[in-house]
Amino acid sequence: MNVDNPTWMIIPILLPLTAGLLCFLFHRKTFAIVLSAVLANFMAACFLTGQLLTFGHMRYSMGGWQAPLGITLRTDGPAVLMLLMTGVTGLAITLYARGYFSFRIDDPGRTERHQHQQRYFWPLWMLLLSGLNGLFLSNDIFNLYITLEIIGISAASLAALSGKPAALLASFRYLLTSLLGSLTFLLGIVFLYKSCGVLDLDLLRNLTEHGPGVRAALALMSVGLLLKTALVPMHFWLPPAHANALAPVSAILSALVIKGSFYLLFRLWFEVFASAITTAALNVMGTLGSVAILWGAIQAIRQHRLKLMVAYSTVSQLGYLFIAFPLSRTADNAQVWSIVIFMAMAHACAKSAMFMSAGTIFLHFGHDRIRDLTGVRASLPITVFAYGIAGVTLMGLPPSGAFIAKWLLLSSALASSQWWWALVIVAGSVMAMIYVFRVISRFIVIPEGFSSQKLGYHSRLLEWPALALAMISLLLGLAAPWPLHILARGSHDLTQILPGGLP
Amino acid sequence: MVKTRNRPKRLDGFQRLFLLLVICMIILLGYILSNIPGGTLGLEDTVAEFQDRSGVESPVTAVLLNFRAYDTMLEVVVLLLAVIGAWSLTKSPLPGQVADISPIQMGVVRLLAPVMCLVAAYLVWQGSHLAGGAFQGGAILGAAGVLILVSDFPQIHTISALSLRIGLVLGPLFFVGIAFCCLFFTGDLLGYPEETAGWFILLIESACALSIGVTLAALFAGSRPESGVQKKQPAVKQSPDRGNS
Repeated sequence: MNVDNPTWMIIPILLPLTAGLLCFLFHRKTFAIVLSAVLANFMAACFLTGQLLTFGHMRYSMGGWQAPLGITLRTDGPAVLMLLMTGVTGLAITLYARGYFSFRIDDPGRTERHQHQQRYFWPLWMLLLSGLNGLFLSNDIFNLYITLEIIGISAASLAALSGKPAALLASFRYLLTSLLGSLTFLLGIVFLYKSCGVLDLDLLRNLTEHGPGVRAALALMSVGLLLKTALVPMHFWLPPAHANALAPVSAILSALVIKGSFYLLFRLWFEVFASAITTAALNVMGTLGSVAILWGAIQAIRQHRLKLMVAYSTVSQLGYLFIAFPLSRTADNAQVWSIVIFMAMAHACAKSAMFMSAGTIFLHFGHDRIRDLTGVRASLPITVFAYGIAGVTLMGLPPSGAFIAKWLLLSSALASSQWWWALVIVAGSVMAMIYVFRVISRFIVIPEGFSSQKLGYHSRLLEWPALALAMISLLLGLAAPWPLHILARGSHDLTQILPGGLP
Repeated sequence: MVKTRNRPKRLDGFQRLFLLLVICMIILLGYILSNIPGGTLGLEDTVAEFQDRSGVESPVTAVLLNFRAYDTMLEVVVLLLAVIGAWSLTKSPLPGQVADISPIQMGVVRLLAPVMCLVAAYLVWQGSHLAGGAFQGGAILGAAGVLILVSDFPQIHTISALSLRIGLVLGPLFFVGIAFCCLFFTGDLLGYPEETAGWFILLIESACALSIGVTLAALFAGSRPESGVQKKQPAVKQSPDRGNS
């Protein structure tokens, strides 16, 4: 295949899929299969980025059947950046999961149970990865529904993997919520197909007329996706599901799974149905986002358990993604895309690093009560360092990627005289500072007469992937021009400016 | 929702309001749906136009296995995911072994199961020109599997875990394999060569029907097999029936 052949974009979907099937079939050498699939996935994401920069947008028709009849995939700026995000985070999570499971399997007593967890983790994770990549690349609304199904079912199974009663209950609730979201989305597709008669996103975008059928479809699909993204009134399932899962699973759920449905929602609102979106709808999203920022941060401050705190901080951080909605009325689409993509990438790296660090701490100390985690630094310096760096990103301090995103948010909020959003952003950052420092100060301060716990076997795979991800999230801000360049390259058909004025 | 089922109590105010809102929404959605101008919208004409290039005569099969085969491939993976998810949770022998199964049941199942496999094979074959296909055939196979499971035939304990997993993965893996083959030979993923498209579709459907049957029966059994000696799944053994048809 030539380098300008669009066929390359099936690699990130089909390779993890095949790897997942093989991992389920064979019980030996699964890690070798998984590692090669994840590496190849990462390289494919890099290759697709290079391809986008050289040749521009790509379309690929499955089976050679063109758009209205067949399914198309496409690459553009946001899609390849999300692929890169998934590739990098996925690689780090895979390595961490290896260290995590071998640490637990070496623990005598429950070896068999942990082996079994590892055995089912790999196929579920590979199929989830393939679903995510499929979601980012797909250009067909029904195909998007199927990728949502793959993601939802594998994510719920992963969340249940730890087998604790609390995790089972939380993941069952997660499964029901996620299915409800999927079915609502499907109902929206029914309305859409009945009104428009096509399923391809490009053809849907070209429809100028938006009757009540399309509006109902958009509302149904948005609610379904919001339920999956856990925007505030619909976030009830997230903290227990994310906090009770195994550490690598928490990292996957918080960093990647949430982003999938958000990405789809954003694409529907700002690309496909951009002309049907009203100012009021954008403001509702912004308001819910503000509530999410504040409520999530308050809850995070109140938590006594580390993983629950990190999970609530996810609820809070998601709010920033939604604040970008009302600001889109004055900024052009490329700028809004760059805000949310930056925020999503920085949060994915930082949050997975945080969950990994929390998981490592849990493994070594056997609990994650914040109050009793004094002086962790003495035993796990690298983990604490990674946690701190990730915290810098959550607070949005420079030079992290989140800083760039928040800076863009603030400047467009002030430029469009919507200062109330700016207030929320600043308040959210201050509160993030509180919940990050509350934990860090415990970790770092070593009281008088404190004897550090001697740790036995210790795997590098438990510490370095988290640190690497945290550093990436920190340095993302320095590399800011580069993702912006990719987005600009992808945005020559994103230039449509939204209608609507000030409230 | 769960609460109301657990306690047969009267609905409180909030629940009534919620119910009212849901009813209003359903009425509104129904109104909108019935007022969407119908007519020429839809892809039926496009499908009819390309029907003769799809290799099958049934438009449904053409859409499922040729025009939108990628969707079906992922859908088969979703079914497999359900089994992986269930197996990751529990490990137990079949629940509720019946103490003594009546000889009438054994006899009936002995007669029915082969016939059901034959019907499944026929449904898969029929998929090329009438209603039918992998999912229908697989459902019948799954039902046969359930019958054999509840009758607790001794043979089902001899199926190894590996062959059970092969049965589950065969369909999706075969589908992906065919997809890559097509990529290699025609340059399009899942773009079958036009003259042999019908055979490709039949092959994929047979493999998928088998896997769907095993999947449904495995979901009925509900838990992963103990390593070593097995507790379930007959459909693997009966697969040769299909090849003959």
